[in-house]
Amino acid sequence: MNKKANVVLRLEDVSYRYKDAKKDEYVFKGLSYAFEEGKVYAIKGKSGSGKTTLLSLISGLEKGYTGKIYYRDKDLSKVKLDKYRNSDIGIVFQSYNLLVHLTAGENILLSMNINGMKEHHKKEYVNSLLEQVGLTKEHAKRRVLKLSGGEQQRVAIARSLSYHPDIILADEPTGNLDKETEDDILKIFKDLAHKENKCVIIVTHSDNVVKASDEVFELKSTKKKD
Amino acid sequence: MYIIKNAFISIFRNKGRNILVGIIIMVIASSCAITLAIRSSADKIVTSYENKYPVTVTIGMNRANLTKSFKENASSQEEMIENFNEIEPLTIEDIETFGDSDYVSKYNYTYSVSLNGKDIEEATDSLVKETTTTKTETETKTETFTNPAPSRGDHMPPFGGDNGGSTETKKSTTQRKTTTTQVENIRNERASKGVFTLQGYNSYEAMSEFISGNYTITDGEVSSDFTSNNCVISEELATLNELKVGDTITLVSPDDERITYDLNITGIYKENTEEASDMRSMFSNSVNTIITNVTTVKDVVSKDEDFNPTVSPTYILKDKDDIEAFEKEVTDKGLSEYYMLSDNIETIENATKSIISVKSFATTFLIITLIIGAVVLLVINMINIRERKYEIGVLRTIGMRKSLVSLQFMFELLVVCIVFLLIGAGIGGLTSVKVSNKLLANEIANAETDMDAINDNFGGKMRDFRPEEMGITQLETIETMDAIVDVKVLGELLLIGAGLTIVGSIASMVSISRFSPLTILKERS
Ligand SMILES: Nc1ncnc2c1ncn2[C@@H]1O[C@H](COP(=O)(O)OP(=O)(O)OP(=O)(O)O)[C@@H](O)[C@H]1O
Ligand SMILES: [Mg+2]
Repeated sequence: MNKKANVVLRLEDVSYRYKDAKKDEYVFKGLSYAFEEGKVYAIKGKSGSGKTTLLSLISGLEKGYTGKIYYRDKDLSKVKLDKYRNSDIGIVFQSYNLLVHLTAGENILLSMNINGMKEHHKKEYVNSLLEQVGLTKEHAKRRVLKLSGGEQQRVAIARSLSYHPDIILADEPTGNLDKETEDDILKIFKDLAHKENKCVIIVTHSDNVVKASDEVFELKSTKKKD
Repeated sequence: MYIIKNAFISIFRNKGRNILVGIIIMVIASSCAITLAIRSSADKIVTSYENKYPVTVTIGMNRANLTKSFKENASSQEEMIENFNEIEPLTIEDIETFGDSDYVSKYNYTYSVSLNGKDIEEATDSLVKETTTTKTETETKTETFTNPAPSRGDHMPPFGGDNGGSTETKKSTTQRKTTTTQVENIRNERASKGVFTLQGYNSYEAMSEFISGNYTITDGEVSSDFTSNNCVISEELATLNELKVGDTITLVSPDDERITYDLNITGIYKENTEEASDMRSMFSNSVNTIITNVTTVKDVVSKDEDFNPTVSPTYILKDKDDIEAFEKEVTDKGLSEYYMLSDNIETIENATKSIISVKSFATTFLIITLIIGAVVLLVINMINIRERKYEIGVLRTIGMRKSLVSLQFMFELLVVCIVFLLIGAGIGGLTSVKVSNKLLANEIANAETDMDAINDNFGGKMRDFRPEEMGITQLETIETMDAIVDVKVLGELLLIGAGLTIVGSIASMVSISRFSPLTILKERS
C-alpha cells in the first residue's frame, strides 16, 4: 500500500490563537503532521501546551485557525462539521460527557440516531458494542450516573464506535481511572487501531499511554519558549 | 423522529422543572379561560341589552328651530299662527318613505287624532286637571309618545333653550315661558280641539308603553285584531263613565257634531306612574287617551278633512353606527327643518356601560397575565437552558445540528405547554362556567319573567309573541364547559400557548446558537 492512502488526517502549518488572547500569544504555531490508519498516536506535552486545543481543532469543535487540516483530502474548513462529528470521528473525553438523564444504551442509541444510520437490530448492536468495551447488556439499561467512572468511559468509547468512524479522538481518557482500568481501556484502543484499522489519537500525560502508543507527537508550549 | 422520543425522555426525566413550568402555564391558561369567558359573557349581556333596547329613532318637532324661526320672521302673533300652519305635518306616507331605508330593520308608528266624546266625560280629577291646564303636555305627548328614551329631555331642549348665556339666564327664562305659551296656543288652535286623544298603533310591538310595563291591562285585553274598531281606555275614564269591557263608546268630531265614530272597549288599562315618575307630568294626560289601531284612526280621519292627525314614527335601526347616515337620508328625503330626529343611543350606552367596563377590565387583566406569564416563562426557560448547557454541549459534540437541538427543546416546551394548557383550560373552564352564570344570572332571570310580564300587560292571555320581537334575548344557563370555552375561545387559548412556546423557545434558540460546545464541556470539567 502506498503511504499516502493510509493518511486520514493531515495538519499543514496550523497555528492557533484564542480570540481573547494577546496578539502574538499563539497556543501553537506552524504545526504539520500526518495521522495514519491503523495506529495509536499519543499527543503529549506540558499542561497548557495546547493539547486539548489541538484536539478541538481536529474534531471541528473550534474554528478560526490558520493553515489547513485535511480529513482524507477534504479541507476541514469546507466540511459540514456536524456531519463530520457524527460520522467520521468519535470523541472520548476525560469526563466521559455522557447524557446523565439517559441510560447507557440510550446514550449509544442517540449517537446512532444523530448519525442517521440504518441498523435493524439496534438493541443487539448496542449490546455487542458494550461487550466489545467489556460491559454486559445489563449495563445498557442502567442510568449513566449509576455506573462507575471506568464503566462510564467504556460507554463513551462504545458510543464513539457506534457509527463506525475512521478516527477516535480521546482527551485524557484514562485521567480519572486507576492503572488496571487504564490498561483495559488502552487494550480496547489498541485493538481498534490494529484490528479495525482505525486511527486512534490520545491526548495524555500518562507514560503508560505513551508506552502503549505506536507514535508520539509532542507539543511544545510556544509561550514558555518565547 | 428520534428527537421526539428524546424530547419525551427528557420531559419525564426532568419532572421537577417541567411541573414548575406546567404550573405557571396552568395558572396562565386558567386565568385566560376565565377572562375569555368573562369577555364572552359580557358580550352576551351587551347583546341582550341591545336587543332589549334596540336603537330607535323618533321624529319630533324641532323646538329650537321652530322658536328661532318664529322670532325672526313673525312680527305679530297672527303671523306666527300663519307660519305655524304652514308647517307640513308628517303624514303616514312620509313615515313609510323614511322607513324604506337600508338602515332600518323595522319601524312602527302611532297615529293620533283629537276627538270629543258623546255621552262620555273626560277624566278631570284633581291630579289630571292640574296638569292638563298646562296645555303643553297634550302636544308633547302626541309628538313624542313612542319615544322610549327616558333621557329625551337631553336631546330636545325646551323652547328657546339655545339662547342666552349664563348672565342672561333670568331674562331668557322669562322669554322662554312667553314663547312656550304662544306656540302652544297656536298648536291648540290648529289641532287640539277635542278632549280625547285617539291613538292608533299598527302592532303590538309598537305599543312600547305596554311592553315596558308603563301601561298594564287590568281588565280585558288589547285586541289582536288591528283592523277592527276596538279600543282600550284608561281606568280613570272607565270609572268616571262607568264603562266596562264590551261597552261601546261614541266619539265625535270637534268640528262637526254629526260626524261620530263607535268603538268597542276590549280592555281597561292603568298607568303605572311609579315606573315613570320622572315622566309623570308628560304622560299624566294619558287618562284621556283612547288606544286603538292605526286602521281605526285612518277611518276616523277619512270622515272629516278638518282633522289634523299626528303621526309619530319609531324606527328601529339595524346598527347604532347608522344613526347619522339615517338622519342624513331622512333629511335628504325632505324632512322639514322644523322636525328633528332623536335617538336612544345614550340610554343604551348608559345601560351597557358597566358591563363594557367589566369587559375591558377583563381584557386588561388578560394582557397583564400574558405579559407576566411570558416573562416568567422566558426567565424559567433561560434558567433551564443554563442547567442544560452541558446537555447541549454533549449533543453538539456528538454532531447534533443546532437547529435540531433547538427543535427538540422547543418540542419539549410545546408538549409541556399543551398538556398543562389543557389542564388549565379545563380548570378555568369549570370555574368560568360558575363565573359566567353569576354574570348572566340576572339577565336570565329577567328574560324569563319579562315575557310573562309583557303578556300580562297586554291582557294576560298567552300570545304567540316571539321574545325577540319584544326585545328579549333568551339567555341560557351555561351547563357545560363547551358552551363557554367554545371553539373560538379554545382557538385563542391555543394561540396563546403557541405564543408562549415561541417566547420560551427564543431563549433556548439564542443560547444554543451562542454557546460553543467546547466551552460548555470545559466549564463542566
Ligand atoms: N477558551 C480559551 N480562551 C483563551 N485561552 C484559552 C482557552 N482555552 C485554553 N486557553 C489557553 O490555551 C492554552 C492551551 O490550553 P489547553 O487546554 O489546550 O492546554 P492542555 O495542553 O490541554 O493542558 P492540560 O494538560 O492541563 O489539559 C492554555 O494556555 C490556556 O490558558
Ligand atoms: Mg487538556
